[in-house]
Amino acid sequence: MMRTIGLVSTNYSVEGYEDLCQNRPVAAVPFGGRYRFMDFALSNLVNAGIRTVGVVTPYYYRSILDHMGAGKAWSLDKKSGGLFVLPGTIHGFRDENGRFLLNDLLRNRQYLERGEADYVLCTDCSFLYNADYRPLMERHEVSGADVTLLYKPLEAGEKHRGSYLRTDENGRVTAIGAGESGEKLFLNCLIINKSFLLRFLDNYRHMSHRDLVERLSAQLAEVDVRAVAFEGFVGYTDGIADYLAASRSLLRREVRQELFGGERQIYTRIHDEPPTAFSAAAVVKNSVISSGGHIGGCVEDSVLFRGVVIEEGAEVKNCILMEKTVIRSGAVLENVICDKQVSVSGGVVLRGTAEHPCLLRKEKVI
Amino acid sequence: MRRKETVAMLLAGGQGSRLGVLTEKIAKPAVSFGGKYRMIDFSLSNCVNSGIDTVGVLIQYKPFILNKYLGTGSAWGLDEESGGVHILPPYATEKGGNWYQGTADAIYHNIDFIDGYDPEYVLILSGDHLYQMDYNLMLDYHKLMNAELTVAVKTVPMSEASRFGIMSTDEELRITRFTEKPKEPDSDLASMGIYIFTWKTLREALLRDHEQQDSEHDFGKNIIPTLLGQGRRLFAYVFNGYWKDVGTIPSYYATQMELLEENPAFRIFERRMRIFSNLNEHAPGYVGEGGSVKDSLCCNGCEVYGSVRHSVLSPGVYIGPNAVVEDSVLLPNSSVGEGAVVKRTILNEGAAIAALERVGSEDEICVVGTGSTMRVKE
Repeated sequence: MMRTIGLVSTNYSVEGYEDLCQNRPVAAVPFGGRYRFMDFALSNLVNAGIRTVGVVTPYYYRSILDHMGAGKAWSLDKKSGGLFVLPGTIHGFRDENGRFLLNDLLRNRQYLERGEADYVLCTDCSFLYNADYRPLMERHEVSGADVTLLYKPLEAGEKHRGSYLRTDENGRVTAIGAGESGEKLFLNCLIINKSFLLRFLDNYRHMSHRDLVERLSAQLAEVDVRAVAFEGFVGYTDGIADYLAASRSLLRREVRQELFGGERQIYTRIHDEPPTAFSAAAVVKNSVISSGGHIGGCVEDSVLFRGVVIEEGAEVKNCILMEKTVIRSGAVLENVICDKQVSVSGGVVLRGTAEHPCLLRKEKVI
Repeated sequence: MRRKETVAMLLAGGQGSRLGVLTEKIAKPAVSFGGKYRMIDFSLSNCVNSGIDTVGVLIQYKPFILNKYLGTGSAWGLDEESGGVHILPPYATEKGGNWYQGTADAIYHNIDFIDGYDPEYVLILSGDHLYQMDYNLMLDYHKLMNAELTVAVKTVPMSEASRFGIMSTDEELRITRFTEKPKEPDSDLASMGIYIFTWKTLREALLRDHEQQDSEHDFGKNIIPTLLGQGRRLFAYVFNGYWKDVGTIPSYYATQMELLEENPAFRIFERRMRIFSNLNEHAPGYVGEGGSVKDSLCCNGCEVYGSVRHSVLSPGVYIGPNAVVEDSVLLPNSSVGEGAVVKRTILNEGAAIAALERVGSEDEICVVGTGSTMRVKE
């Protein structure tokens, strides 16, 4: 197999995430009890055997660097290759609607030029899935295409935010970003020949504020762009209602199995939390519970992150409670997302709906 | 190589034969404890929390899981450029090879390793004790007393003293007598098997002991009595915290049940002296619609569809629908099938209870392994 390096874009747009992205990019949003969105992108690359990964930092990247460290959790602390932090060029804009900005690639050209890789596998962090990228890499190599895009085939009537693809009978992509809906949702993941990418960057030197995918879409007649389907589970997180729904999909065994139970592990930063203590009064149903917690109350249809405390007499239903949330005795929460270290006093009753969940921002005390 | 003030030598070669099924395949220090830990985590974490970054781990009995678990030591923050974890098995020389014959013999064979770091002090630890201790305080005491050997001791009830190595001391806590398992103890200070030696003294003692044909090459039986006989400066360091050497199935079981108490004496869940472990790669746990977990400890990677009460669930445990688990300790990746009933039972790693099976009774502790089952009266 030819050599492939990875490139992770940690997302520019935070539209729809409200306070979840007040102080962090989408890539750093916590998910599933102990993960962050970017864990899926990094783990998918690593699980495909890729050991050189560049991460383009967004506008505010403290939480990204804090989470990644030297890349040890993903086995990316390497003598040769490993994790490369690629400083992004966007300053001051956090709602830029791009995925792989040409300027970010140009300014980090050294990362691409160094080494002997033949391909670059680029992905952002906005879709949550556990994919085997090797079929994508193999299909790309065999086809001889310049670029191969990964897409999710959608059911009729299913609709998500993103770019839809159109392909011809030979599998060539004829349109990217065609319309508001379609059968093929681009997963913001592609593999591209490195030499082609470098030439492409040179050509666009003077339009470097543009996005790679957007520029490709304008040149589909000249550039050989193909598409490969990913049939597995995808968690969509276009905003906080979707975030709640994607989190709740973890309550289904087959989803947990596919994301976390198979050969390909999703890696994340290790915290060394002790086991979670359930007291005699604990009533827990259909919930994902992470380590380090203390549970004495009622928990139903919820996802609890590390170190969450639910006191006896508290009730939690349909909630996502992030790290170190404390729910005091007598509080009742339904359809609520608590960001990290939120503290809810006894007597507080807070109900959102599945379509419009309440969001309590980080460290909020009510 | 950089010089180190203190090198820790961790004795992890023992079989722990009284743990039966649990040590069928693994050395005692690798036996799972408290959900996500293995016994060796406590001593290793103590080293890290005490700022000791050079640890030799002496292995001998069935070391595979232990070796894999230790890895580079990175799980404990012990992957150091200079120092870190060193796994030290018995080795061959031009005169042939020998197994480690005793605790002191194991250290004797690694004199060159220790010399490589040219340390002032050597800390001798066991890999299977349960406690949280700041070795720095003991080292300060060792220096203050200008001691050549400091032995950590714990007061035990007089009635139990004959089970331990007992130290008699003068008012200054200088050791005047040491007796292994005395019939009529004259002190309640029991050795915890934790020693700080001034390396120069230990090195000489090991070389001399190696020449003694009739020696068992054991710290308690040979090295300490000899040094005492020579009038060396031996001091007792009284440790007041929780400490346990779990040697039998009943004490292994009881110690874990104690973790379920409201304020357990063994405070392994406090951040202050954090216990690190290398069992951290599981997804969060899940409790199903018909599941129930009460009065229990539950780790990541557990899937509970049945009912669990007063039990410890290690990572990767599966409890099927309508299964009942009570007063039990389930080690990593063990499982209980649909409708099975498990009471007062220890399930060894990977052990599986079939659907509808009933295991355990009121008056004994049942230990189920992957191949065999044993029952132990309390």
